[in-house]
Amino acid sequence: MSLKLGAMLPEVMKHLFKKVATIPYPFQKLSVPKGFRGHPVMDPKLCIGCQMCVKDCPSEALEIHKESETTDDQGKVSKKFSMTFYLDRCSHCAQCEEICPKKAIHLNSEFEDGAFDRGALKIIYK
Amino acid sequence: MGTFILPVGPQHPALKEPTSFRFLVDGETVVDADLRLGYNHRGIEKGAESRTYIQNLYLLERVCGICSNAHMTCFAQGVEKLMGLEPPKRGLFIRCLMGELERVHSHLLWLGVAGHEVGFDTFFMYTWRDREIVQDMLEMISGNRVNYGMQTFGGVRRDLDEMQIKKLLEGIAALKARTPYYLNLGASEPTLVARIAGVGKLPLEKAVELNAVGPTARASGWKSDVRQDDPYAGFGEFIPFNIVTDNGGDVLARVVVRAKELMETYNICEYILKNLPAGEIRVKAPRKVPEGEVVSRVEAQRGEDVHYVRSNGTDKPDRVKVRAPTLANWPSTLYMLRGGYVADIPIVMAAIDPCLSCTDRMAIITDVKRGSEQVMDWETLRQHGIEFYRKRGIKL
Amino acid sequence: MDILKVFLYILVYPGLLFLFVYSTFVEWVDRKLYAKFQNRMGPMHTGSHGLLQPIADFVKLMAKEDIVPESADKGLFNAVPVFALAAVLTSGLLLPVWHFTQGIESATSFQGDIIVMAYLLALPTFAYFLAGWTSTSMYAAIGGVRVLTLLFAYEVPMFLAILSPAVMAGSWRLADIAAYFQAHPLHMLFNLIGFGVGVIALQAKLERVPFDIPHAETEVVGGAFTEYSGRKLAMFRLLADVQMVVGAGFLSALFLGGFPGGLIPGFIWFVIKTLVIVFILSAMRAVTARIRIDQMVAFSWQYLAPLALLQLVIVIFIKGYMP
Repeated sequence: MSLKLGAMLPEVMKHLFKKVATIPYPFQKLSVPKGFRGHPVMDPKLCIGCQMCVKDCPSEALEIHKESETTDDQGKVSKKFSMTFYLDRCSHCAQCEEICPKKAIHLNSEFEDGAFDRGALKIIYK
Repeated sequence: MGTFILPVGPQHPALKEPTSFRFLVDGETVVDADLRLGYNHRGIEKGAESRTYIQNLYLLERVCGICSNAHMTCFAQGVEKLMGLEPPKRGLFIRCLMGELERVHSHLLWLGVAGHEVGFDTFFMYTWRDREIVQDMLEMISGNRVNYGMQTFGGVRRDLDEMQIKKLLEGIAALKARTPYYLNLGASEPTLVARIAGVGKLPLEKAVELNAVGPTARASGWKSDVRQDDPYAGFGEFIPFNIVTDNGGDVLARVVVRAKELMETYNICEYILKNLPAGEIRVKAPRKVPEGEVVSRVEAQRGEDVHYVRSNGTDKPDRVKVRAPTLANWPSTLYMLRGGYVADIPIVMAAIDPCLSCTDRMAIITDVKRGSEQVMDWETLRQHGIEFYRKRGIKL
Repeated sequence: MDILKVFLYILVYPGLLFLFVYSTFVEWVDRKLYAKFQNRMGPMHTGSHGLLQPIADFVKLMAKEDIVPESADKGLFNAVPVFALAAVLTSGLLLPVWHFTQGIESATSFQGDIIVMAYLLALPTFAYFLAGWTSTSMYAAIGGVRVLTLLFAYEVPMFLAILSPAVMAGSWRLADIAAYFQAHPLHMLFNLIGFGVGVIALQAKLERVPFDIPHAETEVVGGAFTEYSGRKLAMFRLLADVQMVVGAGFLSALFLGGFPGGLIPGFIWFVIKTLVIVFILSAMRAVTARIRIDQMVAFSWQYLAPLALLQLVIVIFIKGYMP
């Protein structure tokens, strides 16, 4: 292929009239697709405390605590659990969502993880 | 000015990751080059010994940001061999698709970085703008732009539906239309050709002797590609593939090889998407892995990636060893840098597509004067570090 | 009244204030054009559409900590940016924008002022070399040496290129050359080759891509400016912008017919013609890669200097055959 002086010039000049490829964040935000790996959200009513999510999390970002244990008249034991979730440790791998037998964890569409206070990144689902 | 030592790194605008080079420079010519690695060592191999296999999938994925899928595939297929699992055909096809889409992402990124190293910022901006197409495609499939988390023992974790397949085919068609422009530009823009032609020459014998891998080796005319030598993830059996080589041996040849590999990859992706078989995407994998050891290889974007896994019957591996492609390319790079110009240092280093996060694993340092090696355990190493800084007056 | 005019000339227009404000505007235009060529936005938020961004950058740098390396020669290290900035600002005073009469020579418009202007524009290059040398840092030393090598490459073609309009107009005074081309606008076409060589040489003088070899970011970190920070770096950056304005004004006075009409029309012509040259410089910056220093020297002596000589020969022929 031969050398052309200013080979890129026509393409570059065309760009004077094109719309820019940049989105002016934060005034305008990109939309994320379905299935985006955001923050895990847990429904405590469905949790059975099997601790599979805690075992499988690669970053030790989850903790399951037993809140209460009640026995009703028929002798049936029902336990309530809460999940403590450390957003600053999460690697968004969705292994917790995959392994939960009761489908109690889902990843939402949030992608703005920043906070000024470390405590704000510790989320408790009761 | 006689000869003096020019340090490039550990921090330098030319390097994307810390490496320490010492060049012996005479005016503008590089007489000798010395390399020190280890700045990106994070103890991943040690960390893998205390995590379960499932946790290790994600740990090994994060060895490198751009080769993340390649590392995950390599580990997953190695452990599958140990477990005696065979992923279903649809899972294999999607696994291959992820690897090839990551290759597109990486080569477009590399074209931009190479442009930036020679001062061609417009080229850099255009290739990265086109890379957004493949990033959006990957985000649509896997939910993330890097570190996709798609591979698992027994197959892949997410499936593709009809609408996604249609969007993927559109994206690939758009990329197929844009990429030949960069190939032509690389061969016809005079200032760019002046910078990359004839620079960083690596003849074929030297490439074989110094064991170059990946596009660096293929640009010297060596037909070395794991997809052909040791097929995995459906290559060879179900998915057709042509190896791409060039005989130039210089940086221009590496640009041409990567651009032509992009075109080949688009064909592979289209074949996969059009011939995706129906069926399951994964089989169930056991938690405990039977005893054994396995070596698994994939063709990562930069070359041959090797993982060695030894299991002992529990759910944690005994030993994981990663040999990433960039480590194999450093001797060739030092050969290429000697005798060149100072101005060529950034582009020659960028031409092998260095990934230091991949490179730095455990290395044995030999004391040259005494010819001895020393193995330190964790406590001794810690004490050594504390004494080192205390001697220099830094309180710990 | 005259004294007031002189003060206005030195301090306001085309002196200190005008050069400062206009050079930041030109930097904004350059950055916006460069961004548009690359399909991006450029500065957007500081001031309306980012107009105040270069001034904001300047103010930020002035406020930063000023570090002097231990082994550097402190006097020279501190003096170099001021000296270079003073040279370029002075050369701005020689542009024939207003306050000159055609037939009468004055302090700012006299026979031989194009030589003085070319000399003053060459002084910053030596200042860059001194800056690199006194920094006693490896990267700065390499940058300084490259600056001088670059000077050997582009300075001769530039001088030859600016000779041709002077020969054609028969005068060494910028105002006279500009007046000649205003009177015979078609003769500007005879100088096209010289104009091309002049623009390329100006790009090399300003050390912009493809000739930003001395401070190539990926090779020698910052070149001659590696060890400069804070106020001195702010002065170096301002110096680059002012050099672009003055260089563009110089070329438009020589090749594009100057700035006729007095104060207000002269100002408008100045803005239009310098923006045309800045557009060409920006486009050149966007479509090329950075070449190596040995390639630059080869290119300059194989193509630029012969082209400039050719231009001179053409002009001499035309002068000989024209009535």
